[in-house]
Order: sequence, then C-alpha cells, then structure tokens
Amino acid sequence: MKNKHTYFLFLTGMLVCLLLFAVNLASGSVLIPIQEVAGRFIGGEFSKSSWETIVIGYRIPKAFTAILAGIGLSLSGLQMQTFFRNPLAGPYVLGISSGAGLGVALLIMAGSAFGWSMYSGGLGIWAVVFSATLGSVLVLLLMSLTAWKVKDSMTLLIVGLMFGSAVSALISVLSYFSGADQLKMFTIWSMGSLGGTQPDQLIAFLVAVLLGLVPLLVNLKSFNAMLLGEAYAESMGVNVHRLRWAMIVSTGILAGSVTAFCGPIAFIGIAVPHMARLVFKTGDHRVLFPASALIGAAVLLACDTISQLPGSAQTLPINAVTSLVGAPMVIWLILRRNFSKEF
Amino acid sequence: MSIQNSILQATNLSLGYQKGSRSNVIAAHISFSLEKGKLTCLLGPNGVGKSTLIKTILGQIPALKYQVYLDKKPTNSISIKDLSKKIAVVLTEKINSANLTVKQVVSLGRIPHTGWLGNLSVADQQKIDVAIQSTHINYIENRPMSELSDGQLQKVMIARALAQDCEILILDEPTAHLDLINRFEIMHLLRDIARNKNKAVLVVTHDLDIAIDTADEFWLMQCGLPLVCGSPEDLILQGKIDLLLPNDRLYFDKSDGKVQDSEEFQYPHIDGPEYMVKWVKLALRKNKINPEGKSISIKTEGKQTYFYLSLGKQTLKFESIASCLDHLNLVKN
Repeated sequence: MKNKHTYFLFLTGMLVCLLLFAVNLASGSVLIPIQEVAGRFIGGEFSKSSWETIVIGYRIPKAFTAILAGIGLSLSGLQMQTFFRNPLAGPYVLGISSGAGLGVALLIMAGSAFGWSMYSGGLGIWAVVFSATLGSVLVLLLMSLTAWKVKDSMTLLIVGLMFGSAVSALISVLSYFSGADQLKMFTIWSMGSLGGTQPDQLIAFLVAVLLGLVPLLVNLKSFNAMLLGEAYAESMGVNVHRLRWAMIVSTGILAGSVTAFCGPIAFIGIAVPHMARLVFKTGDHRVLFPASALIGAAVLLACDTISQLPGSAQTLPINAVTSLVGAPMVIWLILRRNFSKEF
Repeated sequence: MSIQNSILQATNLSLGYQKGSRSNVIAAHISFSLEKGKLTCLLGPNGVGKSTLIKTILGQIPALKYQVYLDKKPTNSISIKDLSKKIAVVLTEKINSANLTVKQVVSLGRIPHTGWLGNLSVADQQKIDVAIQSTHINYIENRPMSELSDGQLQKVMIARALAQDCEILILDEPTAHLDLINRFEIMHLLRDIARNKNKAVLVVTHDLDIAIDTADEFWLMQCGLPLVCGSPEDLILQGKIDLLLPNDRLYFDKSDGKVQDSEEFQYPHIDGPEYMVKWVKLALRKNKINPEGKSISIKTEGKQTYFYLSLGKQTLKFESIASCLDHLNLVKN
C-alpha cells in the first residue's frame, strides 16, 4: 500500500524534524547560531565553552524529551481513535493524566506535611515521576478491571471519562485544602515541562516509551482490521478483547510515562493522528503509526521552540503552547479538507 | 441433499442468550445443512432470530443446546483465527473509513492469511484482483470509500469477503436500502459466486421476489416453528412459503409468485388482451372500485390504446387507466 508519494512525505518529515531539532537546540534565552550547533554535530567545537554546557547539559535532553513525548502521545492517541472508532478520543480519555495528577497532587500536598519539597534536590523529580506513575497505574488497573467486565467499547470509553472526572474532582478537593505554595507547585506541574529530565531520567523515559511500543507493534495488522469495526475485525480473526487489553496497556505506558516525566501535555495526542491522516491521506496503520510518531515529534519540538520565546529570557508553559499553536492549525486543516467525512 | 457438498450442519439447535442461570430462548429446533455451490436464502420476519442464528454460526454467541458443525467440528471449538479462514461475512454495519480506497478495503480481506505486518504476497495480490474482477468494481478500484454509492459499497464489501477466500460466505441483508437494479445485480452476483467458485453462500434477505428468482435453497424461519428448508419451487408448491406471512390477510399466489391481498374482490367484466386486463384489475383493486353493472373493454387503435367504459346505454372512451378511474371515482361519490 506504500507508494513513492508516501516515501517522499516521510523523507520530508524527517528533514523537517531534523531542522526543528537544530532550531530547538539553537534557541532559548541564550541564542546560539544554528551553524554553530550544526558544526558541533559534525565534530567541531563551540566558540564559547558555556554553549557546550547549555546545549549538551540542558537543551539536548530537553529536545529528546520533546521527541519522546511527542511520539508517545500521538501513538497512544492514534490507537485510541482507531480502537474506539471515535475521532475525539485521545490518550487521556481513559483518565490516565488525571490519575497521574492525583498522584502528584497527593505527593505535593500531603508531602509538604512531612517537610518534603519539590526543590529538595535530585530526589524531588524522581518522587514526582514515581507518584505520577503510581497514580496512572492505579487508574489503569481500574480501567483494566472494567475492560474485563464490560464487553462494549463505547461503555468503556464512558467509564474512562467518568473515572477521569472523579479523579479530577478529588484533585480539586485536595487543592481546596492545601496552602498557596503547594497549590502553585501543583499548578506549575500541571502546566507541563520538557526541561525537567536529566540524562538518567531520559533513559528511563526512553525505556518506557519503547516498552509501550511493543503491544502496538505486535497488533499492527489488527488495527487495520479495526477500521471496518469490531464485528468485521472479529470475522477476520482479530481477538478484539485481547486487542483492547493491548491498547490499554500500551496507551497506559506511553501516556502515563509522558505525564510522569513532563506533566500533562494537552492537544498532541488528539490532534496529531488527525494531522497524519490529513497529510498522508491514508487509513493504513502501517503508514499512520510511523507518520503520527514523526509528526508528533516535530510538533512538540516546534511547540517547545515557540515556548522559549526566541530572543527573550521568558518561557511559556508547554501545555499552553501546544493548544495555543496547535488548535488553530488543526482548525485550519479541518476546514480546508472537509474533515467531517474523513476518519 | 448431497452429503459430500454439505459444509455446515446443525441438528435441533436452540438459539438465544444466556443471562446468568436464565436462558432466553429465541429459536429452537433449528436443523440445517449448508451446501457448497448453492445460494441459500434465509427468510423470516424481523425479530425471529435470523441475526442470532448468524451470530451463533460465527461462534460469537454460544448455542443453548447442541452445536453448529463445520467440517465435523463444533464451531465453538474452532479459534476465531481458524474460523476466519473458513467463513467470510458481509454485515449490515456501516463502514466509515473514508480514507481507505476500494482496493485497500478489499485487501483487508487478506488479513487472516498474512503475517504480522500484513504485507501482501504476489498470491495475495492475485486473490485481491480476482475478487475485484468478479464483483465488477475495477472501475472504482482507486476511489475512496466516501465517494461510493450504496450499491457500489455493498459490492466492495462482497469483494472484501471474496478476497478472504473462504468456503462459506454469509451476508446479512446485503440488498437492504438498494434500488431494484442493484438488488438484482447483487443477488445474481452471489449466485454466480456460489456456482462458479463452489462456495456455500448464505444470504439473509427480505426480498422474496428476487430470492425466488435466484436462490437454490430457502430456509424459512418463523416464530416458535422449526426451520423449514427446501428449494423455493418446492416450498411454493407445498404452500410452505405462506409461513412467511403472519396472518390471513395476505396469501402467496402460486401462479403469480407474488404476495396478494386475500380479501375477496369482485371485478366487472373486462374485455381485452390478458396482460392488459391484469393491470386494469390491479388498478381497480387498489382503489377498491367495483363498478357494478358496468363493463370495461380495451381496444388498441393504431398506436394508441383506449379504454371503453360502458354504463348500460352510454359508452365512454378514455385514453388511460387513470382517467377511467377518475371518472369512476366521480360517479361513485
């Protein structure tokens, strides 16, 4: 089903991704000329030694975090949309980010009672990652239990939304009773950040994303069968029940780890699969999965570059930028391509 | 029934849904034998359990009593993976994958036969091409699904099922919502497929007329009664086709092959060629007009046909049945 046009699009996408990567490394509160960045990669050295620290120690981990998060979010979004046959499904519909949020809220608000602070050294970040993971795993377990009991996928979707709302309400209650400092800390976490990952966390993040890809790769063919709906998929030998588990586990690990390491990042998961369908004009998941991963990485890199507000020392929260930049873009794509028919 | 061609059998099957310890029986005493090379039509009123029977055959719901046997094995002991190489289906479900082209949808039919990536071999490609050719959809091969008419859509789904290359093909109301020509085309296509490719084709349908014209075998399902199987011609002559009619208001006209109103109706005397008399009678019957003591004669003069209505002394001349009826209606009131 692949053709020359598809390969051309992939090649262009990769070049764009590479370019965005370089621009991302160059921009920030300290502007480094892009030719210096490119020179460093082909074996040269920076003309200022401070740039080395900035790029290698901070910007490269951040850029890789953006790539991994972009891939993770868009791939879980694509799985959800295909499985539920619903263009509005995204990685967070099963309450995964709310679960992570609850974990972090508990840590920040309850932790302060024991004198813990997010700023208390390196352990702080790991504690946040750990509690976010714990929270999303908890929601994931609940969802799996439901998936085991419930036969209908639409019911599962509704239950997932309800879990999300209930958990969000719990977070509200916690926020109501917590002090101003903790509240601010939690709010900052919930705005997302790509810059918080150190190299060792980046490796953990990479392992998590690779792990989340496994159930997806195993079931690649089944996702194509799901395009005709559950009943047809079943008649073509797809075990829909098993596929549902695989999807929950995969999105749980992907979206859960992104939320754990970067906080909740809106928009990417729900919009990138649509962008992939619009650009590549196909429903074939053997094309759509790599395409979504590529576009997801590119979009998040671009958003991160914008959030640095090139030329100024200020940065914007990434969670706000993704929606601010992405929403108009998707609206434009949709209106231009008469989207309502396409899925 | 020839034994060696039979591929799917059941004896005294009970269908329904199990809810906890309570079972809700929808149909019982279902015995059948589906044969290769034949087009079988399953007919019956809505809600009688046709879909339940299909789901049971597909192993999606367990039978309450006894089993459906495929190649001497109970279908519920066959994994859905193996079953997908034996039975292909066309369902009533609507497809809304606008981004797929016709050829891509047909290719999906090869999924049970390909490796984990779903890459198509040369043999797979050939099967896809044959499926597209035998359903005559070559000319729309590269069109997206969103641009197809209902009739084309149905043919694509049949092509997809053909590409799956199974001995059994089950179609749930493939001709619903289609126009007359498409209904004829699809049923004749299915008949050709059964014949030429020696497949067992089972079609759920409500189109009695077309089913009589095309099917080799009828399965009639009626509430609370055992499944009645036989060739449509035999069932008509034995009067068993009346099983499909719920009450005495309608009956099946054995000479016409049509369902008729069983109410007695007195026609006036009508003169003219037999085939024309038939249509005048139909018009009178539909409008419940019985012009007592009057007679109608049909005469063709040159290229024009005239309808003469004699009312005792007076004779009126009309150019069409409609104008004749209008006059009669006027007189009646």
